[in-house]
Amino acid sequence: MTAGRLARLDQAFRVAAGELGHCTAAWLFVREVAAEAGDEGVEALRDGLGRAYPVLDTVARRWLEGARAPHVRPEGVVAACVGAARVLVVGLEAAHLDALVPLLAPSTRIGLVLQGTLDADWERVLANWGGRVEGTDVAGFQRWAGARSVLVTFAYGVAGGVAHVQPAWVRVSGPDVRAQFRALIAWDVLRAPMFVYPRWLVSVPAEDFSHVAGH
Amino acid sequence: MRAEQLIVSGVLVGTLVLQAARPQRRMLIVTLGAGLAALTTSVAGLGTAADLLADVPWDVLVILAALGLLTQVFVASRLFGVLAAAAARRSQADPRRVLLLFALIMFVVSGLANNLTALLLVLPVLLTLLKLLSVDQRYLTWTLGVLLVACNLGGAASPIGDFPAILLLGRGSMTFDAYVLNALPPATAALGLILAVTLLVVRPARALDDDPVGRRVSVAVMDALHRAVRLDRGLFAWPAIALAVMLVAWVVAPRESGLTPELIAWLGVGAALVAAPALGERLIRSRIDVEAALFLLSLFVMVAAVRRTGVFDDVAAGLARLPVPPVVQLVVFLLMAGLLTGLFSAGPSMAALLDVAESLATRLPPHAVYVGLALSVCAGSSLFLTAATAGPMAQALTERAGLRDGQGAPLRFGFFEFIPVGLMSFGVIQAVGIAWALAAVSMG
Repeated sequence: MTAGRLARLDQAFRVAAGELGHCTAAWLFVREVAAEAGDEGVEALRDGLGRAYPVLDTVARRWLEGARAPHVRPEGVVAACVGAARVLVVGLEAAHLDALVPLLAPSTRIGLVLQGTLDADWERVLANWGGRVEGTDVAGFQRWAGARSVLVTFAYGVAGGVAHVQPAWVRVSGPDVRAQFRALIAWDVLRAPMFVYPRWLVSVPAEDFSHVAGH
Repeated sequence: MRAEQLIVSGVLVGTLVLQAARPQRRMLIVTLGAGLAALTTSVAGLGTAADLLADVPWDVLVILAALGLLTQVFVASRLFGVLAAAAARRSQADPRRVLLLFALIMFVVSGLANNLTALLLVLPVLLTLLKLLSVDQRYLTWTLGVLLVACNLGGAASPIGDFPAILLLGRGSMTFDAYVLNALPPATAALGLILAVTLLVVRPARALDDDPVGRRVSVAVMDALHRAVRLDRGLFAWPAIALAVMLVAWVVAPRESGLTPELIAWLGVGAALVAAPALGERLIRSRIDVEAALFLLSLFVMVAAVRRTGVFDDVAAGLARLPVPPVVQLVVFLLMAGLLTGLFSAGPSMAALLDVAESLATRLPPHAVYVGLALSVCAGSSLFLTAATAGPMAQALTERAGLRDGQGAPLRFGFFEFIPVGLMSFGVIQAVGIAWALAAVSMG
């Protein structure tokens, strides 16, 4: 893969990861590159961009090991959200949210914290759920708190007592938050260890969460 | 020239120069200029501020505000985002198709809706696509440049597309159908010529690598970003019907019936808003473009003041005295209109020159003069990035998008980058406008 093509894919991946999430974007890139350039292309993509995007590195590795689609199993999250009046999502993974949203009770309000490390057109992001998901900023997330509220975030591998999550989680989680929400759910969307430094992510104790879903 | 003529004309020209030089103080400058013009006419006994306000074509402001509100209802229905996403898909990330499709969309949309709002919603989608494609500076410049010119031409192609045409409609200079019949063909021809020159001669995509992987990924990402963004049919249907009824009424309702263009706009948009009352109330309270209305009101007051001094009559008489045939006078007038618009932008030029045009229209076929003027104003609007309001907005949105080329160098879209596009577009539109006007004169 030429340097020019890698630079173009680098810029394109930032756009995609900003509005789809790193895991969703990584699966899309790996699938499309493989369709055009085969496994060799995926290997070249991993070599070229893997260090910059560890989730992409992991997804490319899983593709080369034979996986062909992301593991999107919302059942565990849905079970933890039964009876919830409000579900607030911190972090973005479009494929996983697309699967989760229709399974939540119509009476449940769903919120998304509009905070990311990459640029995103949040109006467009929200338009994909046709008004079902409401946006909120970090400062306003406490308006979603309550005895029937659930906080959900995406984890990129949960192992050894540690979960890698998006930095936005650190901004909303704190010692007092556990008491303000009925459940704090980590949804493991990667389900594999990362072999490169987990740039774009932060490590938090897995015990911060009341539920770990996705396994 | 009499003293009051010198002073009021000086206020008008000085205000226009100042607002062009200091756009960040534009509103302050024009409102003060209007006040000074009113003071001068009052002192000179040519008319009080109330007289000048009575001269303001309020019908034009009503049409502009009403159509702006209708555009906002379409915004709420997600029409523009859906259109842009469809164009991105249809282009298959082929750079030449991207340029062509987005230019055509903006041309059509600008003929029916407020082009500034439409651009504000279409441009982010295009910029996302350009980011995914990692285009180079040359391609970015020509694509965005042609897009802006297509907006200007779309606005000139229809009597409700942009201020100059609305002014002609509102003042009764031309009827709705006469304007469409006479302005749509040359505007379409000018767009066709500009696209042909751009795609066949300039070829802005020629230095871009043909990267099938990049194209495939770009299409897939655009699809994913808009995977479930749908038109809100409930919000879209009623305003679309209202617009269709308004278009029919503008064509068939005779002015003498009292069903004037501004009343049709007023009632039509009111009906469209009633269908979604909560949204309608919110839009009326918060989305009327007060800045644009105040800017035009100030211009109209200044132009009314200059008119009362007799300057426009003198200019028209001077033009008539030129020792050349009337058609050559028309060509001189149209060239002057194009250049003045390039310097001062469309609103001021059109407001000031329409009086002179009305004088010319007594000696030449009116539609030749008015459509020639509308196209010349459109040419001037396309000359510099700063000549039309959409230009600085496109510049700001592009800067915010932080585009980079394949080597990681930042891309820009500013005044100087736009100049080659502007010169080419000005030349084509002005030439088409003059040729069309001369043909109309020869055919009577």
